[in-house]
Amino acid sequence: MVQASRDAAFVEFDRVQKSYDGQTLVVKDLNLSIPKGEFLTMLGPSGSGKTTCLMMLAGFETATHGEIRISGRNINDVPPHKRGIGMVFQNYALFPHMSVAENLAFPLEVRKMDRAEREAKVKRALDMVQMGQFANRRPAQLSGGQQQRIALARALVFEPELVLMDEPLGALDKQLREHMQFEIKHIADNLGITVVYVTHDQTEALTMSDRVAVFNDGRIQQLAPPDELYEAPVNSFVAQFIGENNTLEGIVTVMDQNRCVVRLDSGDEIDAKPVNVARVGDRTKVSIRPERVEFNKSRLQPGAHTLRARVEEFIYMGDMFRTRLSVAGNDEFIIKSRNAPDQTRLQPGQEIEIGWLPEDCRALDAA
Amino acid sequence: MALPIYASTGQRLWHYAFRIICGLILFYLIAPLLVIIPLSFNAQDFFTFTPEMLRLDPAGYSLEHYRDFFTNPDWQGPLWNSLAIAPVATLIAVALGTLAAVGLSQAHVPFKGAIMAILISPMIVPLIISAAGMYFFYSRIGLQGTYWGVVLAHAALGIPFVIITVTATLVGFDKSLTRAAASLGAGPARTFRKVQMPLILPGVVSGALFAFITSFDEVVVVLFMGAAGQKTLPWQMFIGLREQISPTILAAATVLIALSVLLLGTLELLRRRSERLRGLTPV
Amino acid sequence: MADATISGGMPTGREARPVTSGPMLAADGTPLRASLARSLRRQKLRALLLIAPLLLFILVTFVLPIGDMLLRSVQNGIVADTLPRTVAALSQDASEVPGEPVFDALYTDLVIAEEYKRHTQLGTRLNYESGGASSLFRGTGRAVGRFETSIYADQLRDADPAFDDSAQWAAWMADPGNRDALPQTADAYDAWATLTTEVHGDDPAEEDVGDFVYAALYRDLAAGSRPPAMPAVDVSGFETVTAKELFIDDDDAWGEPAIWNTLRAFAPRVTPGYYLNAVDLQMTPDGIAPRAEGDRIYVQLFIRTMVMSMLITASCILLGYPVAYLLASLPMRSANLLMILVLLPFWTSLLVRTSAWKVLLQQQGVINDLLVWVGVIGNDGRLVMINNQTGTIIAMTHILLPFMILPLYSVMKGIPPSFVRAAKSLGANDWTAFWRVYFPQSVPGIGAGSILVFILSIGYYITPELVGGTKGVFISNRIAYHISDSLNWGLAAALGTILLAMVLLLYWAYDKLVGIDNVKLGG
Ligand SMILES: Nc1ncnc2c1ncn2[C@@H]1O[C@H](COP(=O)(O)OP(=O)(O)OP(=O)(O)O)[C@@H](O)[C@H]1O
Ligand SMILES: [Mg+2]
Repeated sequence: MVQASRDAAFVEFDRVQKSYDGQTLVVKDLNLSIPKGEFLTMLGPSGSGKTTCLMMLAGFETATHGEIRISGRNINDVPPHKRGIGMVFQNYALFPHMSVAENLAFPLEVRKMDRAEREAKVKRALDMVQMGQFANRRPAQLSGGQQQRIALARALVFEPELVLMDEPLGALDKQLREHMQFEIKHIADNLGITVVYVTHDQTEALTMSDRVAVFNDGRIQQLAPPDELYEAPVNSFVAQFIGENNTLEGIVTVMDQNRCVVRLDSGDEIDAKPVNVARVGDRTKVSIRPERVEFNKSRLQPGAHTLRARVEEFIYMGDMFRTRLSVAGNDEFIIKSRNAPDQTRLQPGQEIEIGWLPEDCRALDAA
Repeated sequence: MALPIYASTGQRLWHYAFRIICGLILFYLIAPLLVIIPLSFNAQDFFTFTPEMLRLDPAGYSLEHYRDFFTNPDWQGPLWNSLAIAPVATLIAVALGTLAAVGLSQAHVPFKGAIMAILISPMIVPLIISAAGMYFFYSRIGLQGTYWGVVLAHAALGIPFVIITVTATLVGFDKSLTRAAASLGAGPARTFRKVQMPLILPGVVSGALFAFITSFDEVVVVLFMGAAGQKTLPWQMFIGLREQISPTILAAATVLIALSVLLLGTLELLRRRSERLRGLTPV
Repeated sequence: MADATISGGMPTGREARPVTSGPMLAADGTPLRASLARSLRRQKLRALLLIAPLLLFILVTFVLPIGDMLLRSVQNGIVADTLPRTVAALSQDASEVPGEPVFDALYTDLVIAEEYKRHTQLGTRLNYESGGASSLFRGTGRAVGRFETSIYADQLRDADPAFDDSAQWAAWMADPGNRDALPQTADAYDAWATLTTEVHGDDPAEEDVGDFVYAALYRDLAAGSRPPAMPAVDVSGFETVTAKELFIDDDDAWGEPAIWNTLRAFAPRVTPGYYLNAVDLQMTPDGIAPRAEGDRIYVQLFIRTMVMSMLITASCILLGYPVAYLLASLPMRSANLLMILVLLPFWTSLLVRTSAWKVLLQQQGVINDLLVWVGVIGNDGRLVMINNQTGTIIAMTHILLPFMILPLYSVMKGIPPSFVRAAKSLGANDWTAFWRVYFPQSVPGIGAGSILVFILSIGYYITPELVGGTKGVFISNRIAYHISDSLNWGLAAALGTILLAMVLLLYWAYDKLVGIDNVKLGG
């Protein structure tokens, strides 16, 4: 679905900049196009400008420069209430002086819908989030999760094509959060709406999204589907930010099309896939996921470079084993292995040799 | 600050002494008001308790002074003047003040500090100076000694209170609520009417009460600004106190105390209501 | 690879940061600040639009009047407006008692002022500065109409009957040649014509021309002027009188330097005179000097106002602190109950509270009765507690106490009890824990409350007026006196401006200390 309609951009950020104080840019040159029906997540550390982007899209902040378009139309000068964008706020922003039903009826009243139709829609929206029996409660009489559902229902009840959510699950406990992740994704898919979702929880981003935009320092560092983001990070920020990651630093000594050799600071040489290095002599950080490291020599390709490692710590995690190694001067090197019957349990102090497939080891920028 | 069981004799003594001191101070605060009330029922024209009153003899008490207050045109005229001036001044102060407080609470207000200082200044500038300035200026433009002159002056004096109370309510106002309303399609006017106003109403009403009482109690400015036709209740009391002090003043004072009890009660109810509403907003 | 539509190739973290020197530029090359200002313009405009009506209202109904008062404290048009010719002539004449031309001008001015009845106002005004001016102007004003200047009119009419014809005068004075040749006459005639129309409602072409116009004409002719369109008259043989002699004959004071010094000092339209007066100084020919011993009242009054305000502030701290402490440490429910005792007086009319004190403090009042009854004092030893400073301090402390308790309470409420507990757990006794830990944290509350109480009390008028007698009044009472009784508005404005400056200084301090937007109003 996403692939099919990619050309017809629904929401577009075109060279958007934002500054609050006239001195620093909080959003620097943002370009992003979102096709209809996509579930796009903005992920990034605190202060990276995610909320700011969302607020510009919703119309509560003005871009200092650049254009934001919906369906090809520049909306810079459209006031928020005429944009028709549904929004779920982090603190829900339910009107405390109105009942649940009145909260939901509000956007319909604004649109001058007649009473019967309004009631039907409110009921349908409440049923959708399984809150039918709470119509007459005040928001304060609901639990956090229930308020969250009402906020979602209110954002959807007037059938907007685009819904923005700013950390809607931030205030919920882990279990409820996981449940609601599933529910939101499910509803969004069913209704076929476009969702721009903001979070700084990477699991949430990876499980819910069609694509994830990783933000840092006011820029999109990478925009990709979750698997690609995890397996093929384009720079060391993304690699470190998404999932667990081992890094080793060194200098490129041999450079091929799809393969390069990196001499680590310890003197050892390893194979890697060049991603963010241009030529021999560049400094680089190589990145390897813990579950892609192999210490069983029989499973390595013949002729592959290997490194000597000493086991520092062994942690039993139930379904997984997590082992901390000291490798090439880095004693925070983690490897993960599945708890299978034939799996070896490494002992602290043990000396082993580790290696990996060259394509799993990505030579990135040195930043 | 309950006394712990291990307290020493000295601590005990101080504990009770402190409470007695506080009791005396609170007594000092409230006693003058409490003394006025029984004195206003004095059957005679004395300003102190007569022996009959102390004996609780019914003959020592009467409603004489209240009768005078409610029938004598010397008091009725001023009472109605006060009631004609204060509500209009309050209306002006609240309407303009609320609007401005909403404006001031927005994110980007140029010269916010200076504007705020100007708007609060009528509360800070000594009344005699405000009165002098207004007297000179309003005489020039022909408003001195007119109903509207007094109303405008009182509205100006009441505005700081409206600004302060409404701004305080708006500080606690969750901005995402107005944003939510906008995202649901409500324009600025509807957002204000349906979302913001109901929530800041307690602040607006308490600001209105302050503005009302400011005008209703005000005497310095009206002394200078008003003519005989605008003589207000405080003015009449002021004259009464300065010249021929008549016991009807005590009846008038008691009526005003009743009014302030009423206002205080209203304010307390509002406070509870707004606390309840705030309790409702999820954090 | 990712299809990130990120312009400028692959961003690689930190090194992608633009290297800037000078002002930050937006993508289109305009300075970032300007570009930000543009995008915020609408929001700013909207906020200002909401504030504008009120701001305008306050500016017109409040700030403008205050500004008007400030102007009044230095404005001094009365000498220059009433005696314009004299002021002009005086500027040419530096002698102690000026010469003839000044007296001629004064004659013309005073005749006109007398017609407009303005000379008495001027006398009253100058009397503030120099005693006797009022009666001098009143007396001479009455006499100036009978000065023997009519001899000029008579002699001119004798010389040519045309000088008796009002219509002819009007024609002469419409002729530009005549006006150029006879400057004093033209000026005097114009003033006469105006006042004839304005004051008497008559037509100048039909009324007898005033004597002072003839006197002016004589002076012009005697100076050698030859008007082109007027019968030639030889004035060399005319009988003369000198204005100077006439004035001094009427009142010797005109021959003394005193009145002339005063007139010179107050001739400019802007004067520091009111301010000097407000701090017990005056302008003399030798510069600024203190007033006579008996006339020095304002500095003392300012000092008294300050001292009494400080006393009141101190009593408020003394009485307010324990109560606020008690309220802050009691459980919410009982604190709210006791709070009513603080808030009820706060909400009660100022006049009600002042009446209460008047009733309580009188010699035949409740407190004295009680003391006599208890036997503390004898019936003939009743205490005088009203119409003096004691009365003012007792009543005003009562009235302002809530303004101390409320900010103190809100500060104390914000001091977590854990601090004192921590101090005690570290071995401090109650005393040390209070003074070393609790008290310092409550000082901002004392500061806020004190400034508020001081600001309010320094400008108080009603209570001192009613219970202060003569010794317990404040500067405000004096200002009120000058506005409504002595009518010396300029001095009232100057005193008010000084008071205002003091208050604004405190207001500024309050803003720095507490912030205006942090003012809380009980409950
Ligand atoms: N109203 C504002 N005025 C000034 N600066 C602001 C404002 N709002 C945000 N900022 C600044 O802009 C930057 C980006 O803020 P933003 O809220 O967009 O971050 P975020 O990515 O949403 O962070 P979080 O994950 O913590 O919500 C921050 O440095 C923040 O301090
Ligand atoms: Mg955010």
